[in-house]
Order: sequence, then structure tokens, then C-alpha cells
Amino acid sequence: MGLDTARYHGWHGKLRSPVWSSLALVRVALLQVFRRKIYWLVLALGFLRFVVFYVTIYMVTQFTELPPVFREFAFRALDFKASSELGDSGYIRFMDGQSVVVMILLAFSGSLLVGADFRLGSLPFYLSRRIDRWHYILGKLLAVSVLVSLVTVVPALVLFIEYGAFTSSFEYWLDNFDVALSIVGYGAVIAGSLSILLVTISAYLERMAPIAVVWSSLFILLGSFSRLLDRITGYEAWELLNPWRLIRHTGRLWFPAFRQSEDAWLGWWSLFILTVVCTALLLALFRRVRAVEVVE
Amino acid sequence: MQREAGGDNWLIDIHQVERRYGNIAALRGVSLRLRQGTVGLVGNNGAGKSTLNKILLGILPANAGSGTILGCDIRQSTRDLRGRVGYMSESGGAVPILHGVEFVALSGELYGMPRRESLRRAHEVLYYCGLGELRYRQLEEYSAGNIQRLKLAAALVHDPELLLLDEPTSGLDPAGRRTFLKLLEDLIEETGKSVLLSTHLLGDIERLCEQVVVLHQGQVVRAGTMTELRNILHDRFDLRWQGPDEPFLAHLQQAGVEIVPGKLAGQATVSVPKPWSTVQFFELARQAEVVLTGLKMEEENLERMFFRMTEQEQPHGT
Repeated sequence: MGLDTARYHGWHGKLRSPVWSSLALVRVALLQVFRRKIYWLVLALGFLRFVVFYVTIYMVTQFTELPPVFREFAFRALDFKASSELGDSGYIRFMDGQSVVVMILLAFSGSLLVGADFRLGSLPFYLSRRIDRWHYILGKLLAVSVLVSLVTVVPALVLFIEYGAFTSSFEYWLDNFDVALSIVGYGAVIAGSLSILLVTISAYLERMAPIAVVWSSLFILLGSFSRLLDRITGYEAWELLNPWRLIRHTGRLWFPAFRQSEDAWLGWWSLFILTVVCTALLLALFRRVRAVEVVE
Repeated sequence: MQREAGGDNWLIDIHQVERRYGNIAALRGVSLRLRQGTVGLVGNNGAGKSTLNKILLGILPANAGSGTILGCDIRQSTRDLRGRVGYMSESGGAVPILHGVEFVALSGELYGMPRRESLRRAHEVLYYCGLGELRYRQLEEYSAGNIQRLKLAAALVHDPELLLLDEPTSGLDPAGRRTFLKLLEDLIEETGKSVLLSTHLLGDIERLCEQVVVLHQGQVVRAGTMTELRNILHDRFDLRWQGPDEPFLAHLQQAGVEIVPGKLAGQATVSVPKPWSTVQFFELARQAEVVLTGLKMEEENLERMFFRMTEQEQPHGT
């Protein structure tokens, strides 16, 4: 070390704003996740789908002698040019398709990133430092958002860049800039809502098993239930019971074409419901994050 | 504790602080003035020690009362205050999967230190706390004693003026406890930092603290230096005499003296009412026609004092 380690040395630096501490929380949370092999496995699953899309784009843009049937199929499946078709572009489909990986990733990470702080009594450690409850919550929400973005927005943007690079480069990027913005916006809706949902659930349930059960119930059972009601009654609004549909419709509001379509009302209602739910969850989370546990 | 004229440099100066959890009163009108130095906060489980610590740190608001700690208002400048105080919580506090040095550096960053500074300082305090060789181990691999030292390092990382230590040695084996207390003793001696040590282990306080606050059922029963407390409670004597027991004991009882008879004839431990002068023993012995051969004031240790003080405060019928 090159210092006198047996003696105590003082420190006379200047302390920074607590917002920096939130960023430290994000970094540490990601460190915790990436030190567990199981998360690499889940991320690898998400990466597999990215590789399929990546290779397909490469093949349809580079190998012009490919059978037309294959090219047509690939374009229709990926639809990377469809910036104006109600936000149903290949990038959005890619992000939607990542939902399974996102669900698994978050189901596992909730207990580690948030539940453990409550279970192991670490909250007084955080809140006795120079941060307030909001800094702690902000740090945890950002950490989960980064995780979600790593498997949704980031690869989608890479695909966008790849498609442009292998076709008309700048022209594609400039002409479809709104697609890139939509990817970011859609990603922000996914990351924001899922992080609020996960952090709140994890703060209350603490352990992995109940978190995973509630998490999967929300997204699988509620989804199936809403589809069933939709089918029986023929009333499309039942879709709004499905959390993933809520997120999807809200995210699609970023696409101007969707906002002008007949289905736009679904998007606005989804935005309203999602805002109400997220606000309620944030209030519940704020109430839960305390440095003191009352023991009678 | 006696209020001193012109003393602005109080470590802790709080007045009528109250805290309730629903219907439970955790603190009931706590007023304290403590000087810089090492202070022991002693009380049974549920006495309100942790609650008082958290109110002093500003992470738990008081329902009533006011005060300052290190000159900062406990109700307003809590974040500034936390930058000047190092807090070590009673239990938990570890962040899974992190290495020791990462944990301490995280603590520094949460206090507001720049990342690089925080990491450098984490290495430094870990060496000081004797964990230099273990700093790259994951927290799950640390023993209970080392976790406590790690938590002390995390509280020291930003070089605070005051350390609030909440039950730092509870759950440690004798060797771990001895090592931790020695580390704390050296730190206090070397740096002169003020320490507020909350514990129910009275031996820790006797070894480290100059001042003591006794909390019982959310109230301050006594506060003062160890010497002051001993003086307040110096009312027990060991008596030895030659002659019949009965008349002397009867005279003592008539004078309001409580008696714990000894196993042998001609001796007893007595607790005298106040005011009392030792000359009165000789007068009573003369009246009972016995010869007083031994009169010794009983040595008070903190444990005995604590039990006597808290017993006196017990509500009737308990």
C-alpha cells in the first residue's frame, strides 16, 4: 500500500451531491447482478434472439442472391423499414419478443437488488448515509431500468444502426430518425414501468419465490384472463387488464401513426392507467422505504 | 446531566424529545446535554436506544422536542449532519455479493465522497481496522467479528467527527468482542473522536466510556460521568460488628436502613436512606451495645448501578 497502515489517517475532501450516490447504487446493483452466473444465462437467452435478428439483417442486406422467397419472408417478419405502420416495426417486435427474457431476468433480480436490503436489514445502512429515501429509490429504479434496457433498447438500437450501416447508411438513419426515437421512448416506457413495478413488489415481498410467483401471475395469469374476457365478450378494452399490453399500447404512443389511428384510444387509456398504477406504486414504495422497522 | 453555563460546544443537546410508534411511546421526553468524548447509552432491549440513535442521526423524525447534535439541528440539517457522523447499525447492513473493499467504498460514496477517493480511503480504513488481507473477500465469507469491523470501517470511511455505534459487540464471541473493543479503544485514543456507544453490555461501557446515559422505558433514568453516577448511588455499606445481631439490626431498621443479612453472624450489607452520615452507624451500635469492627462502602460497578437505577424506575406492581 505504501502507507502507514497501523495509524489512522484523516480525510479532508469535499462531499458531493447525493445524486452521485444514486449512481453509485446503480453501479453496485449491476455489479451484484453480473457476479451471479444465472443472470449471464438469462442475458445469453436474450442475446440469442438478438443474434438471430442481427444475422437475418446481415443476410438480407448482404446476400442479394438469396432466394426472393426468403428475402420477402425475412423482410415481412422483421419489417425494419416500417416506420409508419402503427409502430409495429421490426424493432418494436424485437423488443416485445424480449419480454419473456425481461420477465425472467427481473423475477430473479428483484430479490437480490431490492428484497435483500429489506430482508437483511440493510436499509439503515443506506439511509444513515447522506442520501434520502428518494435517492435510494431512484438508484434502485435506475438499476432495474438499465437491466431492462440492456435486453430491449440497446440491442434494438444496435439493430437499427446495423440495418442502416448495411443499406443506405446515413439516409436510412436520417429518414427513420423517428424510429430511433420511438425505440428509445418505447424502451423508456418499458423500463420505467417495469422498474417501478418490480422494485415495489420486491420491497414488500423480499424473497425470490413470492416475488417470482406474483410477477409471473401478473404477466401470465392476468394476461390470459384478459384475453379470455376479450374473447368471450368481444370487448377489446379487456386488453387493458394485461400489464404487458398496457405497456405496449403506451409505448406505441411514441409513433405518430399510432396516435392518429383508430386504436389510439387504447394507447391513451393505457397511458392513464399506467400513470395511476405507477404513481400508486411509487407512493407505496416511498412508504415502505424506512430506516426503522417497528418491533412491538 | 447538569447544564453548564456558556457551553456552546455540546456534542448532543436535546430537549424533551418524544417518539411514538402508534400507541407505543419509544421515547418519552428525553433531555440530554453531553460533552464531547465517549458516551455510553445503556438500556434494556426496547429501552429506546436505537430510536434515540436514529433521531440523533435525522433518519427518524421526533414527534416532539428539539435539539442539536454537533451544533446541527436534529430536525433540519440532517443531511449535513450525516456527513459528519459515522453510523454503525445494530444488525444487518451488509450488501450481498460485494467484496469488503467495495462495501466500504460504497459507504463512502453514499456519504458523498468522490468514487476514486472513496476507494482509496476504503483500502486505508480496512487496513486500519485489521481487514487489509481480507478486503477482497465477499461479505458472505466474513465472520461475525470481521463483519462488525467492516461496518466500523464503513462508518469511518469519510472521517466523521462522531461515531454512533449501535450494539457493536452484541452477538460476538468473547475473543471477537475483545478485539473489537481494543480497536475502538485505540481509535478513540489516537483520534480523540467522540463516540456514542449504545449497548446493553455494560462491560463495554465501563471499559470505553467517560459518560453514561441510562435509558429505561423511553426515559433517561440517569446521565452523567461514571464518577457522578457512583457518587449518586454510594449508599451501600458492608458492616461487621461484635455482639448480638438482633438489637443492632432492629436499631438499623428503625433508622430506615435496608438490610441484607450476611451468611455469618455479625455482618450484613445495608442500604442507607439519604441524608446519612457514617457516624450514625457508630451511634446505633452504641445504642445496641455492640462494637462496630468493620465499615466499608460497597464498590459499585455499572451493572449493579444499572439494575438499581432501573429497578427504582419500575412502575408499581411490576
